[in-house]
Amino acid sequence: MKALIRKASFLPLGLFALSVVWTFLGYELPAVLLGAFIFTTLGYFSFYVIENHLSTYVFRRVLEAAFTIFVIASLTFLLLRLVPGGPFDEEKALPPEIKANIEAKYGLNDPLWKQYVNYMGGLVQGDLGESYKYVGRPITEIIASALPTSIQLGVYALLVAYLLGLPLGVIAASKHGEWLDSALMIVAISGVSLPSFLVAPLFVMLFSFTLGWFEPALWMGPSYYVLPMVVLGIRPAAGIARLTRASVLEVIRSDFIRTAKSKGLSWRKVLFKHVFRNSLVPVLSLAGPMVAGILTGSFIIELIFAIPGLAKHMVQSVTNRDYPLVLGATLLFSILLVVANLLMDLVIAMIDPRVKFT
Amino acid sequence: MRFNIAGTILLSSVFLVLSSLGCTKKATLDYGLKVEETLRINLSQEPPSLDWHKSTDTTSALIEYNMMDGLTEFDLKDPELSVIPALAESWSPSNNSKKWTFTLRKDVKWTDGKAFEAQQIIDAWERLLNPETASQYAYFLFSVKNAEEYNTGKIKDFSKVGVSKNEQGQLVVELKAPMSYFPSLLTHHATYPIRLDVIKEHGDRWTDPENIQTLGAFKLKIWDHDKALVLERNDGYYGAKARVKNVYGYMINEYSTALGLFESGRLDYQNTIPGNELATLRTQPTFRESPILGMYYYGFNTRKKPFNDVRVRKAFLYAIDRRQITDLLGGDMSPLSGWVPKGMFGYQENVGIQYDPEKAKKLLKEAGYEDPSKFPRIVLGFNSNENHQRIAENYQAQIKKNLGVQIELQSEEWKVYLNRVRTDTPDIYRMGWLADYPDPDNFLNLMTKVSENNHTGWSNPKFDQLIDQGSSITDKEERRGIYLKAQKILTEEDVPVHPIYSMVSHSLVSERVKDFPINSMDKVVLKGVSLK
Repeated sequence: MKALIRKASFLPLGLFALSVVWTFLGYELPAVLLGAFIFTTLGYFSFYVIENHLSTYVFRRVLEAAFTIFVIASLTFLLLRLVPGGPFDEEKALPPEIKANIEAKYGLNDPLWKQYVNYMGGLVQGDLGESYKYVGRPITEIIASALPTSIQLGVYALLVAYLLGLPLGVIAASKHGEWLDSALMIVAISGVSLPSFLVAPLFVMLFSFTLGWFEPALWMGPSYYVLPMVVLGIRPAAGIARLTRASVLEVIRSDFIRTAKSKGLSWRKVLFKHVFRNSLVPVLSLAGPMVAGILTGSFIIELIFAIPGLAKHMVQSVTNRDYPLVLGATLLFSILLVVANLLMDLVIAMIDPRVKFT
Repeated sequence: MRFNIAGTILLSSVFLVLSSLGCTKKATLDYGLKVEETLRINLSQEPPSLDWHKSTDTTSALIEYNMMDGLTEFDLKDPELSVIPALAESWSPSNNSKKWTFTLRKDVKWTDGKAFEAQQIIDAWERLLNPETASQYAYFLFSVKNAEEYNTGKIKDFSKVGVSKNEQGQLVVELKAPMSYFPSLLTHHATYPIRLDVIKEHGDRWTDPENIQTLGAFKLKIWDHDKALVLERNDGYYGAKARVKNVYGYMINEYSTALGLFESGRLDYQNTIPGNELATLRTQPTFRESPILGMYYYGFNTRKKPFNDVRVRKAFLYAIDRRQITDLLGGDMSPLSGWVPKGMFGYQENVGIQYDPEKAKKLLKEAGYEDPSKFPRIVLGFNSNENHQRIAENYQAQIKKNLGVQIELQSEEWKVYLNRVRTDTPDIYRMGWLADYPDPDNFLNLMTKVSENNHTGWSNPKFDQLIDQGSSITDKEERRGIYLKAQKILTEEDVPVHPIYSMVSHSLVSERVKDFPINSMDKVVLKGVSLK
């Protein structure tokens, strides 16, 4: 049974890889593929959860998450009202009667508790209200049009981070103490410390205007995706490289590696089958928080590369005091974060049999 | 064996996906437009709304002005921006410019072929004024009889509002009070006609490209939210047809990104340029500069010490050399001592208080501040922005040098600042104003007692009376005299405000673009533009 579970993971992983390649080539993701991916992933996780008697655990986590999100919604709602300046304060002040009409239209003249109840009531039904700034556009529609781009960018950046970070970390660890190790770690430290608003223009200058390899901005196809995803992924990549190196070094020294070596396995086999696998746990557990980092960090990237994503709304809606959009964006990010954390915990349990849920 | 099942499913789903290749479109943003017939401009942001009754920002207005026309329009070639016919062929005032009759063109068709008629103006004004529409620009028509009452709900019957059509199909407008410049209000998008049938059918979605009906030189082809907007030439346009086939609007917020695209030939027009870039860009052939009808000023809180004393206010005005500020900004702005910006009817170079540090010191002494260190603590408020910061620092330094008075600077986030100015006005506050319509009334009106934009706490019945009088007179020279008097009260006698400079707009226009409109209202009307 365990073996089957392991083998079946090829399905969602394969579909995931296919989706990434598909969108990267500049095609819109067909609903069939997206549906198949979501279906197999959920199916796979549910199967794993049931098989390992984790339903109560997952159920509890989901309840906790729902509560967390409720608290976040309430706090955001209240904090927004505490910030001075309202959505309809403009440089050209409005006559009071006109302001009254606008406030009546959006229910802003109701007592605060009533506005809160109305908002929460809508939220439960999946209605996030209408934007104040983008007149007449429902928040759900704004999110639905911006989210795919943000996720696309986030996933690419995450892949860049892991595909760069993991091998570099392993190489550095296997050459521990040699010049290559030091060189890689110096690069990694610079990667962590250089802010993306500096790296982005440098990359644009070099790879776009000087070399002409990639497009400098916008989000229209593969040659447009490369620079933003690399700039966004490079910081987490550096972090992953450092963590992988530390983790690999720790695992190499453990008893079971010595056993594996003394069994006569080749060093390469030991490194990739035993060491690498076991060093993955701390690196993967980083993924949850990293998703948050990448999502919030993408604001600057979206701005610099003029990418039509959600991070922009997240910041600009606050400046505009567009209450429904601020709430919508905040809730969405919270949900993404909570889900990412839960899934990562499950993935870690799958990889590392020592992990036990209570 | 089991794994083979998984493999089969995987393979078949891959096949399924690949077979649907034909029905997925490539997510590009060029929409198959040809560069040689497309003008590519940067809108800087997503237009918040293309509903011309509800939008209040310049991005939306730019699109609206290119896909719609009003009863009148500005002659953009005339430096004084005279009002010329558009949807209205002609108009005539009667009853001492209290009543206006507009004769409408009969050859105008909407994009779906329906004819334009007076009723569509009446529908539009009803919608604009209807409290349920909650339009911010409803006050644009408050000069129309009973319009304000309808907007506040005091009158429910729209037929009592002073707009109607007569038997000849003319539009008849009755005003509350005589108003000589009324036709110039009708250049504004808030007053444009609308198709109520379209709005009824599609609700809030009526501005989507597949639903919207317009009658201007361009029509909305694509509106890909947050990505791009495309206008296409309207071949059924009643006037001279647009010379360029498509206008592609990018939504690039970050200036350096836009500049990169501009310099690499991917963008034809960029209109916001940060102050510190002006010196480098000025030398390039693509750089454009034009005075616009806007001004930058400081206001004094005259409700409390020390600025409740007119001598202190005057001392501050005499102590500032505006030229230093405009030089610092490097944008070729004109120092402004009066209250009407350069380029507008009523502008007077010599009105207002000019730099004179000796007089400044004398006035401060007279006000009882022999020892400047005894001067109360004062705060200069502005919203966080590099230019505002530089101006405030220069003001602070000049006041320190010429009066010995220390000013504290306080910068706040935009909306926090707006709230502060209204509820807890700083001793000195920063504001600006851009003309809604090119008439001095639009500027002088700001400082009347009833104005929502007068945060100084100052008012003067004589000034208010002059403003009322000025708007009702048709004789140009007589008006000029009245506005001169009003400006003297505001900037020489009572000085609740400190005008600083008259604004200038800067833009980059690619060399392949011909006849790009540059005018003092900063209106980007693209129908006359062509590409080399």
